Amino acid sequence: MSRELRARVLAAAAAEPSPTRAAIRRRNLLMATVAAASGIGAFVIFAMLMSESHLLRLGGEVAPQQHLERPVWLVVATAAGAIAVAATAVWLALGRGRSMLGRSRRWLLYGGVLIPVSLLVWKVSCSLAFGDAMVAWPERPGERCLALSLLVALGPLLSFLAIRRHTPVQPALNGAALGFAAGACAWVAVDLWCPVAYVPHVLLGHVLPLFVLAGAGALLGRARLSLRHP
Amino acid sequence: MERYARGDEAAFAELYDAIAPRLLGFLRKATRDASAAEDLMQQTLLHMHRARGSFIPGAPVLPWAFAIARRLLTDQARRRRVERRLFSEAPADSDRMTYEPMATTAAADDLVHALSLGRRLQERIEALPELQRTAYQLLQQEGLSLKKAAEALGTSVTAVKLRAHRAYVALRAVLREAREPS
Repeated sequence: MSRELRARVLAAAAAEPSPTRAAIRRRNLLMATVAAASGIGAFVIFAMLMSESHLLRLGGEVAPQQHLERPVWLVVATAAGAIAVAATAVWLALGRGRSMLGRSRRWLLYGGVLIPVSLLVWKVSCSLAFGDAMVAWPERPGERCLALSLLVALGPLLSFLAIRRHTPVQPALNGAALGFAAGACAWVAVDLWCPVAYVPHVLLGHVLPLFVLAGAGALLGRARLSLRHP
Repeated sequence: MERYARGDEAAFAELYDAIAPRLLGFLRKATRDASAAEDLMQQTLLHMHRARGSFIPGAPVLPWAFAIARRLLTDQARRRRVERRLFSEAPADSDRMTYEPMATTAAADDLVHALSLGRRLQERIEALPELQRTAYQLLQQEGLSLKKAAEALGTSVTAVKLRAHRAYVALRAVLREAREPS
């Protein structure tokens, strides 16, 4: 192997500054802060704009809402389970284990199946103890929760993609995992806001966004995480 | 790599010396083009340089390097629309025949036979589907373990075994044909 090639590669590396581990840590911390701030900000704005009183003030097209007070233990239990699943999803998607190539395809596929199922089963099973939550709400089919989920998850998804940067293997699958993770984080926020546990509502407003975000993550992952020859 | 991730700039030269020869060998076999292989190796090392801050302490470096090289190779081939030529066709240049088994002791007929067999095996390797050929190269030519090859290819050990097995079956068929009297 030629010395000229060696010198050329070393010179090219020296000419291009690259962040050290400490710099990457700072950048990832900033990205995580951006993710949290954007998610919380979107949630607060949406919840304020879409509050019942606001909708009624807009013109009365919205049917009078049913009032449902969830007991604190139900909110806490549902949120705790959702937080645990969301934390697992983020760990699975952003963590790479002990390999620079990230999680194996099998782990990512298991995550794609288990995260939505776990969230759904947990919410429904917690709410089963609270009969009213399972009552049908015709005026709330779930489109607002769908919009809120997507809005809240957008910032975290972009931040997660920025944190992950590149992956030499399975960029689409890794992107989908990031989408599921962002969706799981959004689920926690939406779940705090939405008392409805009627299964068709949950499927449309809470579960569907997970798959929409996973699809978006897969597309973005293929485009952004994949290595390109310059 | 660990020292380099922590900011020791001088460690990059050591990293280069440790992995560049194997990377270049792998890329030369895959591209059969010395300048393209050098370019891809440079890009692979530069990518590792850019990603040094995200290096996981204790993570194996070689599968990572091979995975990057393979991805860049595939991307380059796709973009130039010459993947078929790169991976399927067998160019007529004779410099691919880099070894001459028994050349010093065999009789002329044996030598001709060995050269012919070597050429046919090489052609068969190049005609293998890309996944099978890469698995074969990583295991047999680069000497990676099944686990490391699986990591580099982003798949399971079982899948690598299956791909390599299919490659072996194809190569054994060439050897069987060669043994049969013509």
